[in-house]
Parts: sequence; C-alpha cells; structure tokens
Amino acid sequence: MFPDLNQSLGTIYFGLFAVIALLCGAGLLVARHPIKGAICLIGVMLSLSGLYAILHSPFIAVLQVLVYAGAIMMLLVFVIMVLNQGEDHAVPRFDRSSVLALVLPVLVGALVVATLKRVPLVNDAGATRGTIQRISEAMFTVGPASPGYYLLFEIGGLLLLAALVSAVLLAKRSLDRRAEEPDGTPANGAMPHAHPGHADRGPAVVSLHDQAAAGSTTVTAAGAVDVSTRAH
Amino acid sequence: MNAIDPNHVQILAALLFALGLAVAASRRNIFFLLMGVELMLNAVNLSFVGFSRTFAGSGSLVGHLSPLFIIAIAAAEACVGLAIVICIVRNRDSLDSDAYAEMKE
Repeated sequence: MFPDLNQSLGTIYFGLFAVIALLCGAGLLVARHPIKGAICLIGVMLSLSGLYAILHSPFIAVLQVLVYAGAIMMLLVFVIMVLNQGEDHAVPRFDRSSVLALVLPVLVGALVVATLKRVPLVNDAGATRGTIQRISEAMFTVGPASPGYYLLFEIGGLLLLAALVSAVLLAKRSLDRRAEEPDGTPANGAMPHAHPGHADRGPAVVSLHDQAAAGSTTVTAAGAVDVSTRAH
Repeated sequence: MNAIDPNHVQILAALLFALGLAVAASRRNIFFLLMGVELMLNAVNLSFVGFSRTFAGSGSLVGHLSPLFIIAIAAAEACVGLAIVICIVRNRDSLDSDAYAEMKE
C-alpha cells in the first residue's frame, strides 16, 4: 500500500526538502514585507509535509497541508492584507539589539547539533507507520485499556472553541457602541481612542447582551472598513 | 528499509527551530514574531515525527499523535494571537513591536 522509497531516492528527496525548508526559513528571517515572509513560511510548511510523507507519517503530512498551510497561513495572510497600512516598509527589519538576540538561536542550534552528533540514533524495525487507521485506533479507543488520548482530543476541542470565542471578542470593535447609535450605523470614521467610553474600558470587556445587540457584522469586515477609512 | 538517517532529521529540526527563534527574537515587525513562533512549532513537529521512527510499538505511535495536538494548539494560538494583533494595531496604528513597550515603564 505504501511502497518504500529505495535508498538513494529517499535520501535525494530528503535532501531536496531539507534544502527547500532551510532556504525558505532563511528567507523568512530576511524578508522585508510580511507577505513575503508568509510565503516563505508556506514553503517551509509544504516541504515539511513532504518530509513527513517520506518519514512514514502520511496522516500528519495531509494535516500539515490542510491545517497549517491551508487554514493557519490563510488566516495570517488575510490579516496581513487587512492590516496592510502601506507603512510596513517603515518598520525596520532589525535594530541594534537584534544582533544580541541572534546569539541565542545560534547557541541553541550549535549546542543541539553538537549533542546530536554524539548520540547514535537508529531506525527501529518495529516502528509503526502513522496511517489514519493506526492513529484513529489509538486516539478513539474508549475504555479501561485505552491510552487516554480521547480525553486530550476532547480538551483540544474545548481549547479551540475557547480560542474562537476569545478571538471574536478581542477583535470585534467595541460592541456596545453600536447599540448607542440611534440608526444602527457603525461609527467607522471615529478613531477608537477618540471615543470617551472606549479608552478606559478596552475592547476585551464586553457583556453578552452587547454581543446580541451588535448584529452580524464580522470581525474582518469591521477591520477592513476601519483600515480603509483611516488610509484617506 | 528507509535510508534516512534519524540524526539528519533531528539536525534539520534543530536548525529550523534555531531559525524560528532567530526570527521571533530579532525581527521588529509583529507579524514576523508570530511567524517565528509558528516555525518553531513546525520544527518540534518534525522532531516528533523523526523520533517516531526510532521507537517500536506504542512509543512510535506517540510520535505520530503528538503533532496532531501541537497543530490544534498552534491553530488556537494563531487565532488568538492575530486577534490581539488586530486589537493592538487598531489602538496604536503601528506594526513595530517597540510601539507596544509601554508596559515596561
């Protein structure tokens, strides 16, 4: 079902994906605009997906493309485009403390590589292949003999739900202000800190009846309108 | 058997982690901070998958299962992180992380 790559071909593919991942990672480090950095990061993620596939983990490889390169990076690119204020080039890439900050990663990388060179790691013949069948058997077995991964799965679902709700509450423009407007039109022209009741209250503090009154305006729509009015 | 040396996988993961750490620590644009964290999480995933080939049985399965949870947590982190970025940029009108340093004073 999953034929092994022969020796030389597996090494060639590994080298290819490793070089692409490292080059794209370096591109992320030196990229000027966030969009270029995001595209470099997508390159890293796609080549890592190829690495997972040749490392006998096809399910993780599929999930890497679907969730990381698909969902997370789409969200990131979308937010970069919404918040693009034309002054991204004004933010300098590095400053003087960045040189100091580069010492730590170099030190960490050198230390780990030097340690790995001394550790003899060998492939185990009994290693399982991370197919969907094996992973789902391990994750969704419920009962006294189960390894308990289904609990982690439930907690992960709760975590994602909490993140969803908190992201909406954080990014929404102050929800009570819409209720105060008599005709219900959002006050897009006003800067957030120009509103007297807003600055001390903060956007994170909203109550549930405010949320109901706010209607169905989405986060991204409000953000896009906000940015476009400010650019004028 | 597969010819890929597990040491090489771990070295690649370490290099990618160091690159992510460098991006997160040295860049000033707030988006690059988030992307550096994502790169570090990806490197750890690669390390897990690489180690899953060096153990037998259930120990091997852990290497395939942990990346699933890491990906879920990374999705939650990106979601909340971007919401905070939207929030901050709306108040400060700047993507420079030095503009958000007032908590230090």
